[in-house]
Amino acid sequence: MVGMNAVLAMTFLLLLRTGLITIAIAGFWGVGAYASALLSVKAGLPVWLALPASALVSAIVGLVVGLLLIKKGGISFVMLTLVFGFIIVLVFGTFEVFGGYTGIYDIPPPEAVRLPFFGLVEFTSKTPFYYLMLFLVSFIALVLKAFYAAWTGRAWNAIGQGPRLAESLGVSIFNYRLLAFVIASAAAGLMGSFFAHYYGSVVPATFGPQKTIYVHVYAILGGIEYAFTGPIIGALVMIVVPELLRIAKEVEPVFTGIIVILLVMFLPDGLLGLFRNRWPSSPVENLGRIVRWMKDSFRRVKSGSRG
Amino acid sequence: MGTILEVKNLGKHFGGLAAISQLDMGVYEGEILGLIGPNGAGKTTLFNVISGFFPPSVGRVTLRGRDVTGMHAHEIARLGISRTFQASTLFMKSSVLENVFTGFHLSYTTRRWKRLFRSPSARDEEARFRKEALNILEFMGLASLSGELAANLPHGHQRVLGISMALATHPKLLLLDEPMTGMNPVETENMIGLVRQIRDRGITVVLVEHDMKAVMNLCDRIAVLNYGQKIAEGLPREIRENPEVVEAYLGKHGTK
Repeated sequence: MVGMNAVLAMTFLLLLRTGLITIAIAGFWGVGAYASALLSVKAGLPVWLALPASALVSAIVGLVVGLLLIKKGGISFVMLTLVFGFIIVLVFGTFEVFGGYTGIYDIPPPEAVRLPFFGLVEFTSKTPFYYLMLFLVSFIALVLKAFYAAWTGRAWNAIGQGPRLAESLGVSIFNYRLLAFVIASAAAGLMGSFFAHYYGSVVPATFGPQKTIYVHVYAILGGIEYAFTGPIIGALVMIVVPELLRIAKEVEPVFTGIIVILLVMFLPDGLLGLFRNRWPSSPVENLGRIVRWMKDSFRRVKSGSRG
Repeated sequence: MGTILEVKNLGKHFGGLAAISQLDMGVYEGEILGLIGPNGAGKTTLFNVISGFFPPSVGRVTLRGRDVTGMHAHEIARLGISRTFQASTLFMKSSVLENVFTGFHLSYTTRRWKRLFRSPSARDEEARFRKEALNILEFMGLASLSGELAANLPHGHQRVLGISMALATHPKLLLLDEPMTGMNPVETENMIGLVRQIRDRGITVVLVEHDMKAVMNLCDRIAVLNYGQKIAEGLPREIRENPEVVEAYLGKHGTK
């Protein structure tokens, strides 16, 4: 769950980098989940094919939606993605193919595979799913990293920091935002597909915009400047901490609400932002810094003063 | 001497307001053309129209005989017109070198997938760009600051960085919007020298500037706009003595 939410938060940060705030993330997550459910249950496709296929479906939906919405930009884009987030739930709930509001059941887990070093892997317990998720998260992070490191990442940064300047240097705002949107949709779709096969069922309500708001919180809690570590830390904290505190499901939104308020008031740069000044360049230096910081904190706690 | 840029019967209206009307103007290959006029005369609007940020309401813009009217800004950049902005518009959260690097967006020749997989040829290309970016910074006098964040530069250096980025796109025509604003006399003098050197590299320069002394000193020709129309065009000496120009700047009483 942490991995999946972390990837969703990564897609949010990808679009945020280009100056777009999207509330459609959970929608694309749902597109992937439903595509995978239909492909494996109704069309009988093996799960290992349904996984990439549903990412592709989600990318195509992303392309079409992006073509329609991205020209608007700014606040219109935000509102329109919200509208998409609501509409997609309605679509899943209304049309017969998607199984109505009770959704689709009996989605098969991935078929057993024989892998080198691992032997025969059967998806009967949670453990193999855990490793599959680890693989998918790493894969998506690597792909995103390649894009960030190449000219595309520079173009996205440029658009986010100064769209007019970027354009004057020859960067097509529309094309590069569309590219980011399609990549984000594909990644969210792939996560949706995993989700469908992991849970074995999909219902429309899961994929509403409320989920996207949670995704935003993961990303912002971790720190929006950190494209990969931010979402992972954010999702980890938001999922593990309520668990540890044994907070009941019903009061969990209250916990999230408090986190959001604290974030806005005290931590606009997120948890990792706390370390920004202590964490600038070389790993060795950083290690020294962390050790010193921990020592200092320890000493402060011991002497009872709260500096 | 050929004409690099030609503007014919250009008009730009915002609602009922005509920011530019019936403007005819030519820029010669290899010159430094100054564009002056009182505030609100339409100089920046003209830049915005030429560089593709606003489509004109009427009229035509041609670059070396090619009609570029109504093209998008990024397409116009590809054709060789580059511009700077009035306010210090930079990628503030990026380093000076990265800022210039972004200017090479149009210069990539390796295939896209090779760039994504960081193939040797793509790496060579990046290394070449890095070197060229450093050359540009050297030329503009910013080499020692290449690792600094753009936001941390003093104002004068930010303007210079803006021009460095424009140079990275390999422009044929460079539009500078108030390059000397907010500079002290030493920086202004330095900027005059830089603009001259840029021209000597074969880049045609059009600049909007309020510092009259600098404009008179630097430009080969000057065009004067007032209320969106061209009221004079000629050598600096002619402009200085033109009664209409004096009137536009000082009001009717100034001519007494």
